[in-house]
Amino acid sequence: MPLRLLVLASLALLACSGCGSGGHEAGAVVRVTERDFRISAPRHVRSGDLLLSVRNRGPDAHELIVVREGSRLPLRRDGSTVSEERLEPVIVGTLEPGQPGSSRKLRLHLAPGHYQLFCNMSGHYLGGMHTKLVVG
Amino acid sequence: MLRRRQAFRPFATRGRRTIAGILATFALFSTLTVTVSIWATSGSRHRASVLEVAARQRTLAERYVKDVLLARAGAQADPALTGRLLALSADALLNGGVAPAVNGDDDETLLPPASGVTVRAQLRQERRLVRDLTATGSAVLARRPATAVKLTADERLTARDPVERLRVLSALTSNVSLNAARTIGAEDDRNIGRLIVIEVVLGAIGLLTSLLLAFGLIAATRRQTAHFRSLVTSSTDLVLVFGDGGCRYASESVATMLGHPEDDLLGEGFAGFVHEDDRASVCAAYAHGEPHEIVFRVANEFHEWRHLEAHVTDLRADRQIRGIVLNARDVTERLRLEEELTHQAFHDGLTGLPNRALFRDRLDQSLARSKRSHEGLAVLLLDLDGFKQVNDSLGHDAGDQLLEEVARRFGEVTRPADTLARFGGDEFALLLEGANETQAVAAANRLVRNLSEPIRIAGHELGLGASVGIAMHAGGEAASEELIRHADLAMYAAKEAGRGRHEVFRYDMARELGELLGLEHELRLGLQRGEFSLHYQPEIALDTAAIVGVEALLRWHSPTRGSVPPAEFIPIAEATGLIVPLGEYVLHEACAQTARWLRNAALPEGFVTWTNLSGKQLSAGGVSALVREALEAAELPAGFLGLEVTETALVQEGHAGERARAELQELHELGVRIAVDDFGTGFSSLGQLRSFPVDMIKVDRSFVQGIEHDAKDAAITANLVSLAHALGLLAIAEGIESDGQLTSLRELGCDLAQGFLFARPAPPEEIDRLLAEGSARVSGGREAAA
Repeated sequence: MPLRLLVLASLALLACSGCGSGGHEAGAVVRVTERDFRISAPRHVRSGDLLLSVRNRGPDAHELIVVREGSRLPLRRDGSTVSEERLEPVIVGTLEPGQPGSSRKLRLHLAPGHYQLFCNMSGHYLGGMHTKLVVG
Repeated sequence: MLRRRQAFRPFATRGRRTIAGILATFALFSTLTVTVSIWATSGSRHRASVLEVAARQRTLAERYVKDVLLARAGAQADPALTGRLLALSADALLNGGVAPAVNGDDDETLLPPASGVTVRAQLRQERRLVRDLTATGSAVLARRPATAVKLTADERLTARDPVERLRVLSALTSNVSLNAARTIGAEDDRNIGRLIVIEVVLGAIGLLTSLLLAFGLIAATRRQTAHFRSLVTSSTDLVLVFGDGGCRYASESVATMLGHPEDDLLGEGFAGFVHEDDRASVCAAYAHGEPHEIVFRVANEFHEWRHLEAHVTDLRADRQIRGIVLNARDVTERLRLEEELTHQAFHDGLTGLPNRALFRDRLDQSLARSKRSHEGLAVLLLDLDGFKQVNDSLGHDAGDQLLEEVARRFGEVTRPADTLARFGGDEFALLLEGANETQAVAAANRLVRNLSEPIRIAGHELGLGASVGIAMHAGGEAASEELIRHADLAMYAAKEAGRGRHEVFRYDMARELGELLGLEHELRLGLQRGEFSLHYQPEIALDTAAIVGVEALLRWHSPTRGSVPPAEFIPIAEATGLIVPLGEYVLHEACAQTARWLRNAALPEGFVTWTNLSGKQLSAGGVSALVREALEAAELPAGFLGLEVTETALVQEGHAGERARAELQELHELGVRIAVDDFGTGFSSLGQLRSFPVDMIKVDRSFVQGIEHDAKDAAITANLVSLAHALGLLAIAEGIESDGQLTSLRELGCDLAQGFLFARPAPPEEIDRLLAEGSARVSGGREAAA
């Protein structure tokens, strides 16, 4: 009986803290879905604090890189991946590869501008895994 | 309880079952664990092959692009083969089957179908990408536009350059291959983790189950032990367990009874308390388990000997005991009672001297010795002169004191080897072994002389004399009864000749005693003339004060002698055989009178008329026929008649004794009641009483008279009453004269009583009156009824 009470109490506490942090500290939640070989995300978001909730629907594993760059991205010499070295100054956030079915979160503070979201696993950018995001 | 191993059987079975359960649980869970491990190991081996093939796909995809480019440039390459290998491997990875050898340095591998949703999704994607890759490759080789190839894996290629498209597809293929391999690896890790968890859980369940069973077993053992312990400790039986090194266990009752602390009893301690003479048999019993029954003495804390009767059981083979068990009972009190009663049977209560029975026994033994040695012996019978007067004038107490003093004086001039006895009343006897007539006469003189000094009793100086009859036996064969009778006749002659004399028996003496012959003659005449009559003394139930029976007593009123007491004529009647017709008369008359009462409806239920049966009558035989005849003649139901038999007549040995017992048994089965008269004065073994047809025992008047003041008499009476009750018999006390005696008897739980206190023997008409009143003595009756 005391154990059950404790569990109920902690659940209630968790729920409260969840709604608190989601509303004020983390800013707007942006849902991003990755699948072979496409990234779905809103076209426009408000600038400021954002929480990217990234869901990988597979079947392959996917990473997520956010860059402040509106135009076509430069490739490495292997011809199948984007050169992150050259994009270094404009990378605003990265997520390591996530297994299919997984959900990851990425906290960002975005100033207004043009951004791109892409997966840089071998061939995935060229296979179509990139999308544009306008922050206003 | 210890002896019966059966009592442990349920527990033993349960114990064995539980242990079997524990072993089975261990076996089951061990088998499960091993099976799971084997299955997991074989699965793991397969997975290693899968992993190898999956990782190989990446290389194959890159080689395919290279082969296509080489082939297009006209170089030696077989992209079609590489593409087929890729496709076959992808298929085998997904659906199971044979994965082909690639380089010749590896073999064909048989793969199981892929399991796991993620892996299968990735492998399916891989197969699609391989198809897109090979299709694009074929288009490139056939110089067809690569953009026309229909893509199946949802990839969105923007490049138009066929080589570019080929590279991207290859990258996608190798990427998904790599990830599939990783997923399989991760799956493997998870499986190993799961395996560990399963094995830990299985082990835990097995261990837990075994522990539960083991604890159950321990608890059951504890309960059993506690049960056993409480049985042993609450029992009054003493339980001792012996093993190597002496006593291993002594129940609490042992320590309680002996008063020694338990520690002193354990080990060799117990043997130290055992009586020296019994130690050998006790040690043998607990070392070898034999003998099975032992009686031995153990000292208690006050250094008193307690007698233990032990049953010895060898349980050394019993794994739960591993020792020799003594189940003992404290029989000290029983032995003391038996000893007391045996002493009582052979000794005179007042003086402590041997009684007639013991004297007879000693005489028999002396005669047996004399037969061999041809040495002579003498029997002296002494009768005090003037004792009756002392008794009558100064009372029974003074008489008793006088007798004690006389016994002491006689003892002073008697050698320890001689047997001095009191036959009853003022009659003493002395047995002199190896004596001739001169020595016997000298002894008689000593006895009489030592009595001549006045005795001071109750303020009176009493001068007593004694008449002594001497019977000599020169050696050879003789009967003890005959010798005693001769001494008796000689004493009679001495008394006749004047007081303070002694006479030696001579054969002509009997004839000279015409008196005796005359008495016999008169007895015969009296029987014919009907000078005999019966008086009846009521017997009272002590709890209700109701009359429950009468004792028929023979009376002789001789026209020449007046009223003759039975003590005088019964011995003559017995000696002459007149007792038989006299007995017939008593039976017929008693039955006829009882039948009259019955017809007059004067008798309460369960009423019994008791008649005395003499030993002579019993040994003569025919009692059974006589009694039946008397009952039939009077038309009296057998249950109304009771026979009083003396102890000695009942325990008589030989053919006559057996016949007498058989006849009594027969009558008893007919319904006739049997009582033992003068109980407590003749039995050598109480055990015998159990086998006789007896309903009631009569406590001798000599005990009843002393019951108030003599602790010993009281104790004996108490024992006799409780003995009677233990044997399921009624106890009746005779000779009750005072209220004090009545009170004592009531306290002892005596059932019936008779005596002057209630009613004297009376003629039948008087009994009619008493029966009509319903109770014997008004005061006693009221008290009891209140």
